[in-house]
Amino acid sequence: MIEFRNISKVYKMGEVEFVALKGVFITVQKGDFISIMGPSGSGKSTLMNIIGCLDTPSEGSYYLEGKNVSGLTFDQLSTIRNRKVGFVFQNFNLLPYASAYENIELPMLFNGKKGAERKARVDELLEMVGLAPWAKHRPTEMSGGQQQRVAIARALAMDPPIILADEPTGNLDSKSGHEIMEIFSQLWKGGRTILMVTHDPAIAAFSKSTIRLLDGAVQANGIPN
Amino acid sequence: MILAFFRNLFRDLVRQPLRTFLTLSGVTWGTFAVILLLAFGTGIGKQQMKQFRGMGQSIILVFPGQTTMTYNGLPKGRRIQVTPDELPLLQARLPGIRALSPEFISSRNIRHGREQLLNTVRGVDVPFERIRNTIPGQGRFINEYDVEQHRRNCFLGATIAKNLFKGMEPVGKQVMIEGVPFTVVGVMIEKDQNSNYNGMRDTHCAFIPWTTYMTLYGVKYVQNFIVQPSDPALSKQTIAALRNYFGERLGFNPLDKDALFVWDFSDFERQFNVFFTAFNIFLGIIGSFTLLVGGVGVASIMLVVVEERIREIGIKLAVGAKRRAIMWQFFAEANCIILIGGTIGFLLAALLLALLPAKQLEEYIGIPKLNPLVGIVTVLILLAIGTISGLTPARRAAATDPIVALRK
Ligand SMILES: Nc1ncnc2c1ncn2[C@@H]1O[C@H](COP(=O)(O)OP(=O)(O)O)[C@@H](O)[C@H]1O
Ligand SMILES: [Mg+2]
Repeated sequence: MIEFRNISKVYKMGEVEFVALKGVFITVQKGDFISIMGPSGSGKSTLMNIIGCLDTPSEGSYYLEGKNVSGLTFDQLSTIRNRKVGFVFQNFNLLPYASAYENIELPMLFNGKKGAERKARVDELLEMVGLAPWAKHRPTEMSGGQQQRVAIARALAMDPPIILADEPTGNLDSKSGHEIMEIFSQLWKGGRTILMVTHDPAIAAFSKSTIRLLDGAVQANGIPN
Repeated sequence: MILAFFRNLFRDLVRQPLRTFLTLSGVTWGTFAVILLLAFGTGIGKQQMKQFRGMGQSIILVFPGQTTMTYNGLPKGRRIQVTPDELPLLQARLPGIRALSPEFISSRNIRHGREQLLNTVRGVDVPFERIRNTIPGQGRFINEYDVEQHRRNCFLGATIAKNLFKGMEPVGKQVMIEGVPFTVVGVMIEKDQNSNYNGMRDTHCAFIPWTTYMTLYGVKYVQNFIVQPSDPALSKQTIAALRNYFGERLGFNPLDKDALFVWDFSDFERQFNVFFTAFNIFLGIIGSFTLLVGGVGVASIMLVVVEERIREIGIKLAVGAKRRAIMWQFFAEANCIILIGGTIGFLLAALLLALLPAKQLEEYIGIPKLNPLVGIVTVLILLAIGTISGLTPARRAAATDPIVALRK
């Protein structure tokens, strides 16, 4: 489903070049649930951003569902972000002035889904993450765990086959973190492919296998949990 | 989506009231200036044209003069004189003349009861009424029978009628002109007139049949005659033909401008129209610059707003917004601000124009009006400013790198 062939990412900061990923090969099958672990600065977020088409590799090719993604235009990548992957961030990245309902609805506004269809989907998702009574509330009125559940609902709005989560429990207490992981487990059982960055072995334990990164390179791949 | 858009806009506007006020006031002031300048511009133009037409519309005044060139062995410096019976012949010979009237002019004593004035008397023909817009407010103008039968009837300008009759009804009464009794057959409506020739303005004049004038005052030659061409656009050709005709008939070189001095109003009107169109464009450009300054204000504010909302942009891009969607959002927002500012400016200008003491100003600057043209031009200028000032921030917003934006 996801295939990285010799992917490198070089950040240029003026004269200085920084190699965030070097020659990464990975393959993710449909229905995998993979944790990505590694020390801070080892390139985990960079890897996730490239998979999620938020960023583009400096070298190598990236195949998503068998299609080469390198060389697509920005708007074509937008379509992929909209339909193929749902992103969950450590800091939630919700619109602060919009309600839970509006945040979840957001991805559907960018591909012309009808109002009634959108409403049905948002209601279904609010129900699923257990936030139906919070529909009208803003993120600032919610706990971190609730905000992350809104973010997960948003990631699911367009029913994407892949969920990418960059340290989704990093800002949460362990109880909320475990609630979030319960939702991910459900999604995985529902047939979605999940990639998740984490520092916490207890969180990684929810996944099927682990990829270890060190200094931008894959140190170990397919470690079963 | 639309709702969210207006909520965003509203939030941006109320969050920083001072900034909003400054931004809007730039656009408001600009719109206000554009509308007022254009409204006054067209008002002045219309008023000038109206006063100008007090003389008559697209007329040609011809004053017989003196030759300044020799012609067929005749010396220069000869007087050219035209008798009134030349005029029917001229009209028969030359196509393109709609109407024609001779004119005799002199200052005469005019009396009614104890009121006595020294005013201009004009001896004219029936078509004079239509040519020179001497429209009767009461009674009628000089008619054919007056002319045929040398009747002692007269037609008075509004001011002279007022001065002689002091509020009494003049029509049907008698006035004495140089001691000779005349019957007043009509009084002219009040009219604006900003140019004139020989004698007083129409409103101070008494008009009598030219035949009566010739018999009473013993003159043979017209002071001038007035031609109204069928097509004002062809006035130049008509004048050339007229000079040729009289040149041959009275013996002068048709190129000798002083033999027949001609005052061509249609030519003047054309130049006048060109001048006022240019004048209005000039005013419009001045106004547009004011508005442009307002637009620059909007653009810079929007750039700040883009910076403030960079995370929002990043989030939208991350969940699949295309660049175009982001661009539209900010472009529309800039245009909304301009629309709001423009509407306020428009209303203020309309209010001012409504409160203006139009009657007192009319004679000098006409009535400044919000005519559709002013509205359309203003809207077009606002659209242009909106496009200019919306495009830069919108482009900046759309060029956001989602990764960079999300890290902020
Ligand atoms: N846009 C960027 N410009 C420059 N350096 C970057 C940029 N993004 C990430 N890096 C660098 O790349 C390295 C890897 O970053 P990241 O993928 O975020 O690591 P991780 O998520 O594993 O902590 C870090 O050292 C970081 O400083
Ligand atoms: Mg990271």
